[in-house]
Amino acid sequence: MDTMTRYVSPVNPAVFPHLATVLLVIGTFFTAWFFIIVVSRKNLKDNSKESSLIKELLISLCASIFLGFGIVFLLLTVGIYV
Amino acid sequence: MSKNIAIFLALSALLGFFNANAEIVNTNVERTLDLTSQLVKTTTRISAEDAAGKAIAEYVFFVAEPSLAYIAVKDSADKNVQVRKNDEQSFTFTFPKASAKQTFVVETVSSKGILPHPEEIRQNDKQFVRYIGNLHLYSKYKTNAQKATVKLSSSNILSHTQVKPYSVSANKITLGSYENVEALSQEPLVIHYENSSPFVTVNTLERTLEISHWGNIAVQEAIQMTHTGAKLKGSFSRYDFQKEGRSGQSALKSYKTYLPASASGVYYRDTNGNISTSNMNSGRDFIELELRPRFPLFGGWKTQYTLGYNVPSYEYMFSDGNKYQLKMHLIDHIYDNMAIDEATIKIILPEGCSDIKLSPPYSVSRLPNELVHTYLDTTGRPVISFTKSNLVESHISDFTLYYSFSKISLLQEPLLVSGFIYIIFVITIVFLRLDFSITSHSHKD
Repeated sequence: MDTMTRYVSPVNPAVFPHLATVLLVIGTFFTAWFFIIVVSRKNLKDNSKESSLIKELLISLCASIFLGFGIVFLLLTVGIYV
Repeated sequence: MSKNIAIFLALSALLGFFNANAEIVNTNVERTLDLTSQLVKTTTRISAEDAAGKAIAEYVFFVAEPSLAYIAVKDSADKNVQVRKNDEQSFTFTFPKASAKQTFVVETVSSKGILPHPEEIRQNDKQFVRYIGNLHLYSKYKTNAQKATVKLSSSNILSHTQVKPYSVSANKITLGSYENVEALSQEPLVIHYENSSPFVTVNTLERTLEISHWGNIAVQEAIQMTHTGAKLKGSFSRYDFQKEGRSGQSALKSYKTYLPASASGVYYRDTNGNISTSNMNSGRDFIELELRPRFPLFGGWKTQYTLGYNVPSYEYMFSDGNKYQLKMHLIDHIYDNMAIDEATIKIILPEGCSDIKLSPPYSVSRLPNELVHTYLDTTGRPVISFTKSNLVESHISDFTLYYSFSKISLLQEPLLVSGFIYIIFVITIVFLRLDFSITSHSHKD
């Protein structure tokens, strides 16, 4: 008991709403970029379609990580303590 | 041989009997009975002495009240005396220091000791109650002198046991002092008086504590309460109730609940939705919540509601690496002089907790651990639950729950959401590369 310290959240609850906003904005930005690449892919030649696939996977990975954390902090902001 | 053993046993039993009985004498006993509310609160100050001059290490105490909820003993140095329960009515005290003279104070609280008499009253009637107890301290030992002071809720006393000497002043009855009372003497003490305080009993309390390692503890209390005083006879008139001050004196109109000072996001609702007749005042050390049920609670009437709030984790959680400790009130204040028949406490821990150990402040009966599934759960959250019956305000104290939890597990939830979204992206990528056209037409635009 004596060696134990008070437990505080790894992220200050006061910044939950700001964090949620910023992460969701970045996540949406990457999502938009992903769709622009997907839509403009038809104009590319066959050999550059390969590099487009890697680009799509990487951008969608970034988008999903930002959106995932953003959604969790959004839940925490609205009072759903997961 | 067997005869010898029988004689030996009889002798030792006889010796034991004399050892236990002959020596301890209560030199002075002062009893205070507080009958102002629905609970019987007694404070008994006992000075005991050993006639043979031997040191007293143990003392057997009998409780006369049928439904004892709480007992605590303090010695003259204000130290806690260890209490061992022999059966429902008998307790053994073990003193920290054995000495020939012991002075100690026994505090007991019991519910259901005061019963309404008559059992049914009309809306405008006053509530009269009857207490039946012992005139003398029901003790295993002889008592030299004893005195009892009874505190009542009003000076309207219909009748009481009149064994001289006694005196009555306003709402106080002093009985005694009575000299040289034999051991195990039982003289009834009956007091019939007016008690307008609402006799409200919480039938079931279900308290749920949901721990989140993101820094929050969500507390929810589902309460069902009944007015256990004199039942309402005849019909209820809202007009009389609003107009006349005398009407429904023993009805429960509103009451105060105290929440921790750090509580936020308080809600008070039932199956119909939010109950808007509540007021919240923040104090320095606590939050005072004035709750007014949807209807005044008359004798025999019931109500149920849910009260919930959030508290930050740093108030109640402690950590050291992967080891965590939760230290929180087992039950909390519901209303003054409350009586709870049955309380169930559930503690929902985050997913992935292990080595869970509970240390309650008093004996509780553990229920089997279960799993609950809420938001973003995969295997389910462990739930620790236990019950305790017959609780009063004195039972408000902290339990401690020890458990281990790895900090990495905190990332599980955001990664779960990220993974889900990524799967959608990958499906999109694959889907857009497939050709679903029936005819093969080459358009080069």
